[in-house]
Amino acid sequence: MSSLQQYGLLLGLIVGTVGFVLCLYALARTFGKARQEPGKDVPATAGQLSRDPVWVRYHARYYGYALLFLAFDMEMAFMYPWAVVYKQVGLVALLDMGVFLAILFLGLLYGWSQGALRRQ
Amino acid sequence: MIAGARLATLSGLRRLVALSMAQDLGVYLIPGPEIAGVYGLDIEATGMHIVASPRHASVLLVVGKISPALCEAAAVVYAQMMRPRVLFGIGTTELSPLPEADILADVSQQGLMEGVRRLRIALAEGAFNPAVSDFDAPMLQTRIEYTCSMHPEIIQDEPGSCPKCGMNLIPRDAQARMMHAHTEHPKMEGVDYSGMDREATVEYTCPMHPEVIQNEPGSCPKCGMTLEPRETQNTHHDHAGMSHGDMGHNDMAFMSMIDVTMDLPRSSDGLPMDWIDVPFGPFFPGLPGGLLLTLTLDGDTVAGSRAGTMTGNEPLLLQSAMDINKFTERLAKLEPLAPVCYQVLACLAIENAGGLDIDTEIARARAIAVERERIVSHLGWLALFGRQTGFDWLLRRATSLQQDFLHADIKQIVALKAAILDLSGRLQHTPLLKSRTTGIGRLGADTDKILFGPVARASGINNDVRNNDKIYGDLGFTPAGGKDGDVRARLQLRVDEIGHSLALIEKAGITIDSAMSACHVFATNNIDEASGDGEAVIETPRGLARLQLGLENGRVKTVQLATPSTFHLGLIEKLTAQQELGDALVTVGSLDLSPWEIRL
Amino acid sequence: MTTLLVLLLLIAGAYFVAVLEAWISNGRFRLAAPLYATIALLGRESIVPRKPDRIFFEVGPVLLLLSALLAATVIPLTPDLIITELATGALFINAALVYVLVALLMAGWGPDGAYAMIGGWRFLGQLIAYAMLIVMPITAVAMRAESLLSTQIVVSQLGLWNIIYQPLGFVLFFVASMALAFLPPFDMMIAKGELAGGVEAEYTGARLAVFRLGRLVLIITLASATAIFYLGGWQGPWLPPWAWSAIKILVVTATMLLAGRYMPRIREAHLLSWCWMLGIPLALINILIVGILVLEFP
Repeated sequence: MSSLQQYGLLLGLIVGTVGFVLCLYALARTFGKARQEPGKDVPATAGQLSRDPVWVRYHARYYGYALLFLAFDMEMAFMYPWAVVYKQVGLVALLDMGVFLAILFLGLLYGWSQGALRRQ
Repeated sequence: MIAGARLATLSGLRRLVALSMAQDLGVYLIPGPEIAGVYGLDIEATGMHIVASPRHASVLLVVGKISPALCEAAAVVYAQMMRPRVLFGIGTTELSPLPEADILADVSQQGLMEGVRRLRIALAEGAFNPAVSDFDAPMLQTRIEYTCSMHPEIIQDEPGSCPKCGMNLIPRDAQARMMHAHTEHPKMEGVDYSGMDREATVEYTCPMHPEVIQNEPGSCPKCGMTLEPRETQNTHHDHAGMSHGDMGHNDMAFMSMIDVTMDLPRSSDGLPMDWIDVPFGPFFPGLPGGLLLTLTLDGDTVAGSRAGTMTGNEPLLLQSAMDINKFTERLAKLEPLAPVCYQVLACLAIENAGGLDIDTEIARARAIAVERERIVSHLGWLALFGRQTGFDWLLRRATSLQQDFLHADIKQIVALKAAILDLSGRLQHTPLLKSRTTGIGRLGADTDKILFGPVARASGINNDVRNNDKIYGDLGFTPAGGKDGDVRARLQLRVDEIGHSLALIEKAGITIDSAMSACHVFATNNIDEASGDGEAVIETPRGLARLQLGLENGRVKTVQLATPSTFHLGLIEKLTAQQELGDALVTVGSLDLSPWEIRL
Repeated sequence: MTTLLVLLLLIAGAYFVAVLEAWISNGRFRLAAPLYATIALLGRESIVPRKPDRIFFEVGPVLLLLSALLAATVIPLTPDLIITELATGALFINAALVYVLVALLMAGWGPDGAYAMIGGWRFLGQLIAYAMLIVMPITAVAMRAESLLSTQIVVSQLGLWNIIYQPLGFVLFFVASMALAFLPPFDMMIAKGELAGGVEAEYTGARLAVFRLGRLVLIITLASATAIFYLGGWQGPWLPPWAWSAIKILVVTATMLLAGRYMPRIREAHLLSWCWMLGIPLALINILIVGILVLEFP
């Protein structure tokens, strides 16, 4: 199959799955609608009725890791094609990528030393 | 015929669905799995599985008698369950505002199995019903209140304008009210709160560092500039639902992020983020049932906590002059997690009040009953710890061992020694357990708080009532000890105490039946004419309990009871400050609180 | 057609994972239990929490199922039994599995409930921990195979499976895929003891069925990915290829499910610090070692 055909098949698979899920929902709906009773739609908090909204600015404590993750993620995007042609190119490829990885690794070490790699 | 059926006629495909529902039962336990364990009920053996959220449950199983406040919370849980839902009561009495129990059974494993059998039939036949009615209860009603987005403390029931700034009030759902809970006053730790609670006082702040706030003029500790005066705004820490966007004022100048976040309390890393109040109770899966814990969360860090109990503060004396036998039974019933200990405590206090000597044989038998209860209680705590930390193997092993101990006679108890040793060894070598529990919830030996029981002994404070008891000395009792005072030390100590109690039971060689019967009798026969005041102490599985009472002609007139969990409740606030949520819950669990014995 | 056959096998695999999971946690082997559970779930009521983010709430479970399915389309069970033999197969697996995070974040944010939201944000922290440890070992595997084609990756292991060739990569990939599938001990977002069900708690009825199905398909997809990347896929003596595939996938699944029972849940701070301070240097060393080995022994 050509690659366009393959992606077409995947698109068909996505549509098919969504259709399957909707069929399941329709099947569940034939048994009846949910009865709206007081207090039923409040998120369950183990016995207390808590209607407060919780969509607030969440204080994530891992932002130090997240910044480093961005750098490494960009690196991985380059490493995929490099891995495919690696054997062909030989030692030069290892040295080139080694330099790149070493620079990033130094960045990781710097972040580590500055206290980025901990729960803030 | 079940009250929580779905509205439809039972025909065709629905019959198949009802049959499937009868096979796949998820149960939500009220007040908690530890109560079911102490009553000797093995839920998993019936084919039901315990679920963590009421939305995944089809059966609400209420075990034992629960207070009106817990009934209300159970009604909230029932309302949040999806239909078809079944209410199953074991050993329960009045359950309002819950509806009448669909299935009732008595407190025994056979009763439970029989009840589940009837439940499956009822569900298969009654899951769909042409006539159903809504479940309604007073605490489920929504209240709309009107508040000002700039001044959240202004709350009115009708729309209008804010008396402080004149803006239109915006509607919002009422917050959940605390239902009959006895709570401690909240305090936030680790936050610069110096100007927070005052009404329009003058504060001094640095223009460069707005987080520096002082009450007197001076210079900024960070940069040295003189502090400038500023009027405070009486802000509430809970900003959820408040949007700074809809100001309503047209002439309000543009507010930069610094202005908008100026009065928010700062977290430990200096960022001002929104905090939310989240209730963790009373039926939270990882905590003891009946404990009402409300945490103020800053992300997933605990910024403040409030702990209380909802098990009702029932009076110890039912009438002004209570019969002594009825009194001991009442004291045992009020604390289902350690009934034998409290019964023995009552007997000891009454005998002390009457000035009567205690027969050594009876005292020995009572000691063995108390030690057996200690083992059962610690195994129940281990099961709760396993449930809380997701340690599935420990949960199942501790639950099955607890059931074995409850139904074992003296020979079988001695035979279980190998199982306890194996458990202890496995806990030493579990990966991740050490890192999960070391250094968390640390209470040093030099703490100024009052500590009892395993919590104290794990910190190196060796107070144990059994140290001074001659009976225990004869049996070769040595107190277990620890020194770190963190969760790991408490875990290790409780496992050690199980082993020690086993050794004591083995050495004494008294049958379990005679030990249990010694808790009911009094040491002498002329107890009916005794008068006087007396007190007694006992080492419950959670610590020292002290009972003082006054007798008059064989009837109890005055009573005062001090229990260890009452003191330990006050530790929660300090211990959980600035901890991550999982660590905070593990810390609260490690204190082994029994909400039933907390008397505030 | 092959597509239908692979999908059926996937559903059968997911069913078996459900039976296996129940067996491991209850001790009872009931083959009909997932069937009863599914029918019962479809027959129960299904509500939407008050004031939700409706789009997020609805899309969450479906996206979980979709991302697991898409990742499974490039996994070969035998040399012919693969839905789409994409030239960038190994990369596509990673791309599809990233949407698991999006799905869980949506599921956490949608219901406007405290436990769910905390669970969702915690999963983002977990992603930051495991994401590199999935990608770097795959790169090392692709180095040996000189291609991202998943069938080529299996063929390159003829003679010596990758688990022996790059054991470090295997360990890291295995641990990271357990974290991706939020299996215990990495299950803080659906934790029963800490978050009362967390992300999963607010889903009921048919949506819960789709969520759980998505999770099961995710587990079996990751087990299959481990089998083809490190255990040589369908290769093996005596038995036909599909039998070897099945055996390897089931062994990996059972190991993943069993491992978590005997440990408490890991703390998020620990997971992040161990993955970044220990895991990533090890993954880089793994790439270096594989690079040298590939050049030395062509």
